[in-house]
Amino acid sequence: MADKSFNAFEMAQAQFDRVAGLLDLDEATRQLLRYNLREYHVSIPVRMDDGSHKVFRGFRVQHNDARGPAKGGIRFHPMETIDTVRALAMWMTWKCAVVDIPLGGGKGGVICDPHHLSMREQEQVCRGWVRQLSKNMGPLTDVPAPDVMTSAQHMLWMLDEFETIRGEKLPGFITGKPVGMGGSLGRTEATGFGVVFTIREALKELNIPPSETTASVQGFGNVAQYAIDLYQQIWGKVVCVSCWDQTDQTSYSFRKKNGIDLAELRGITDRFGGIDKAKAKELGYEILPGEAWLEQDVDILIPAALENQITAANVKKIGDRVKIIAEGANGPTSPEADAAIAKRKIFMIPDLLANAGGVTCSYFEQVQCNMNYFWEKDEVLGKLDVKMTSAFAAVSELAKKRGIYMRDAAYVIAVGRVARACKDRGWV
Amino acid sequence: MRKRIYSPHRGSLARFDRQFLSSASRFTYIGSGELGGKAHGLARVKGILDAKFRNAFAPAVEVAIPSLTVVTTDLFDLFMKENDLFEIAYSGERDDLVAHAFQRASLPVQLVGDLRALVEQVHTPLAVRSSSLLEDAMFEPFASVYATKMVPNNQPDADTRFRKLAEAIKFVYASTFFRSARNYMKATHHATIDEKMAVIVQEVVGARFGDRFYPHISGVLRSYNFYPVGYAKPEEGVAELALGLGRTIVDDGVAWSFSPSYPRIDPPFKSTRDMLKHTQTRLWAVNMGKPPEYDPINETEYLVQVGIEEAEYDGTIRHLASTYIPADDAVEMGIEARGPRIVDFSPILKAGLLPLPELLRSLKETCEEMLGAMVEVEFAVTLDRERCAPASFGFLQVRPMVVSTAAVDLDENELAGERVLLSSETVLGNGALDTIRDIVYVDPDRFDVMKSREIAAEIERLNGPLVEARRPYLLIGLGRWGTTDPLGGIPVDFGQISGAAVIVEASLPNLAFTLSQGSHFFHNVTSFKILYFSIRHHDEHGIDWGWLRRQERRWDGAFASRVELAAPLLVKVDGRSGRGVILHD
Repeated sequence: MADKSFNAFEMAQAQFDRVAGLLDLDEATRQLLRYNLREYHVSIPVRMDDGSHKVFRGFRVQHNDARGPAKGGIRFHPMETIDTVRALAMWMTWKCAVVDIPLGGGKGGVICDPHHLSMREQEQVCRGWVRQLSKNMGPLTDVPAPDVMTSAQHMLWMLDEFETIRGEKLPGFITGKPVGMGGSLGRTEATGFGVVFTIREALKELNIPPSETTASVQGFGNVAQYAIDLYQQIWGKVVCVSCWDQTDQTSYSFRKKNGIDLAELRGITDRFGGIDKAKAKELGYEILPGEAWLEQDVDILIPAALENQITAANVKKIGDRVKIIAEGANGPTSPEADAAIAKRKIFMIPDLLANAGGVTCSYFEQVQCNMNYFWEKDEVLGKLDVKMTSAFAAVSELAKKRGIYMRDAAYVIAVGRVARACKDRGWV
Repeated sequence: MRKRIYSPHRGSLARFDRQFLSSASRFTYIGSGELGGKAHGLARVKGILDAKFRNAFAPAVEVAIPSLTVVTTDLFDLFMKENDLFEIAYSGERDDLVAHAFQRASLPVQLVGDLRALVEQVHTPLAVRSSSLLEDAMFEPFASVYATKMVPNNQPDADTRFRKLAEAIKFVYASTFFRSARNYMKATHHATIDEKMAVIVQEVVGARFGDRFYPHISGVLRSYNFYPVGYAKPEEGVAELALGLGRTIVDDGVAWSFSPSYPRIDPPFKSTRDMLKHTQTRLWAVNMGKPPEYDPINETEYLVQVGIEEAEYDGTIRHLASTYIPADDAVEMGIEARGPRIVDFSPILKAGLLPLPELLRSLKETCEEMLGAMVEVEFAVTLDRERCAPASFGFLQVRPMVVSTAAVDLDENELAGERVLLSSETVLGNGALDTIRDIVYVDPDRFDVMKSREIAAEIERLNGPLVEARRPYLLIGLGRWGTTDPLGGIPVDFGQISGAAVIVEASLPNLAFTLSQGSHFFHNVTSFKILYFSIRHHDEHGIDWGWLRRQERRWDGAFASRVELAAPLLVKVDGRSGRGVILHD
């Protein structure tokens, strides 16, 4: 989990300030975009299985909706903070803008630990969260999606509660639903595949065949697993993955120098992405400390776990061979570490671009729900690839043209688009 | 872990870069596997075509391989694996069930982005052709064993264009496991499991004429001519041309045949009326108009076949036809006069509006040199609508052509006699066989042309066990084998008769048919050294039906019978004279 002294929102604001400078934004626009348009704090009372009552705290933040309804996940995490949710909502605004989909940015969270809640209790949390926020959300207002420790099942409970309250069928209220219940084929794979679409394009720019590269991945959840899957399909070799160990309450890295076997690891992984270390050892994996993933002698690093993982404290441990960092997670790199990475001229694929596959596919899901006509998986993934590749090309072209860092280029495009929308609407 | 494979000639090609048409490279690939036979053949000749032919016949003719991208075999493997298609693929289920299962599957994620990018730029028809791994094996061409599907790709939205292209690729993938392909595999002693499919996505050569898109000329050039006419020598090769898509030549067997060395010499028609009778009357085109009924498992979903008179409205036969003048019983070059048209390509071949024969001679020589073997080349040409030239010559395919070289001398006197079961002076192939003891034949007394599809099914039932038992057999039928017109003969595909070592097609007084040169089976016939007899009912020599009916039958169907002889037949064919005879004990 992130360092407690770290404040994600301050980091997001610092990033924004830097880009506002590059874009020379006027003060009113800066003030508008530096903060959220709206944020809601809610209390969710739940009767627990043992008959007791517990009140959970929840949030929903709508950072900006000038380009379309707010869009963003809902996280269940015991260490959740409003500042993390604020930061993530802002990043969602930029993310939707950089891939040019007509949505704004939002995020939600509930302070809870699903590991210690029964399914019934989790359902009550979901329904309670929606009951508190249903007036302020909807398919044309704010559209939630799964995020840390929430799944398609949680989305379906939330949708059901929302439709009950509204008295009509509104499948576009939420995305990440199960396939066959308004979900889109390809949604599960979208974020991880999207990360690799951008890595593939970066490798083309660097003129390196994927087959000659190796990678190390932080995390073994949904994003990491599908990123590994596609990266291996294009003949890349993953030598190390790390994950959180629920029992030991720490993370470990699992290394196999001749390449990990994805299917084998999936077979010994729990539903939260935790790998069984005893079984991994039997299968010939070296069990290393959690941070070891960062120190590997590889060409590509894929942080695909949580925010603030590459920091000033550990950035020096990144090996000399590393040429690309693709941020599968949101905000995994602190500003200090980012500056060091930029200085080392490592090709950075920033989070708002690298992991935008998820929200892009969520947008496709909404489109399909609104039409009530669902596309084949290859159609979804084909559109996703083109969208991601076009976004990468635009960012990379701007970075080269203006001689700026990839993250700055992505922000310049994204913030520029949102600022333009605010101006066009006459807000500032 | 998947195994990574490289084609020897892929190195010279570029990766697909999402700029399909404007890209500097018009010959690209997607994936990391093999190119497959067709694409490999093209890759081998690409360099020399660019260097030697691009401008050699300019400005009259520009020669090029139409823009294409190859989806390599590893993506086929991934498609099969990710969608768990192996069970249905090897189940032996009906073709339509296999095809439907493949349609429901998803193409690999590595491929779909590139396909999507392709259809977002391209709005002209695309052909999806098979390019399988086994097609790559020299001397074992898999001509037309697998499907080719064309899509108009002119729908206004990219989503639909993408879907149609994806459906076409899945259909071609599925055709790897269709019954005819499976039978073919058995006949060639291959296991279907060894087969891997690459596909070529290629711009269709042609132009749009109203609701139709087609080339002015489609053609096949072969190194060896089994029917040389006049001064022509077999080694000088033969070319066949048709108006519209090449399906007319390959599947319908209708074409204008000529020697590139003597383009002015007509095929040996008995009379001008005979010429009129055998000329091309219909043509295939891509349907650019109203969307047809949705049928993704139909190879010709987006194709239309129209009468030649439609081409006259399109203005496309102007440089390709002559006119029959009934009053004079003569043929006049061009279409100025009124009268039935004969698609004989006279303005080009005789008046020299285009140096096509010269180009074909040169291509034949170059391709033979490149492949170190006799070749078969498929091409298509689009003409300038007004002046014929400049024309675009699209080089579509090259593959080796196998011709038996063993010498068999057969005197005319040997064609008749007591021991002669049948003989002909129109035989394809060359060589002698003395191992055939099985005969499958369609009895003229039980033949009903209206039931030709049922006859085809009966033949297929007989073919299977004989293939299984590895007993090559003599197949005798009435009408044209492999016709697409059920009234013109027996509409089998090659897989249904794949165990036949000797094939005989015979006519009846009420059932005229054309010879098979250039037909769908030609390449298979020559490659497997199948001896192919054509016997007209009015020929001097014929079939001794009486002897055949006296033999004990192992199996009797409604239309066909199988005979198993105690002593093998002796089959002799003199490839140079085209004479052949089958002798019984």
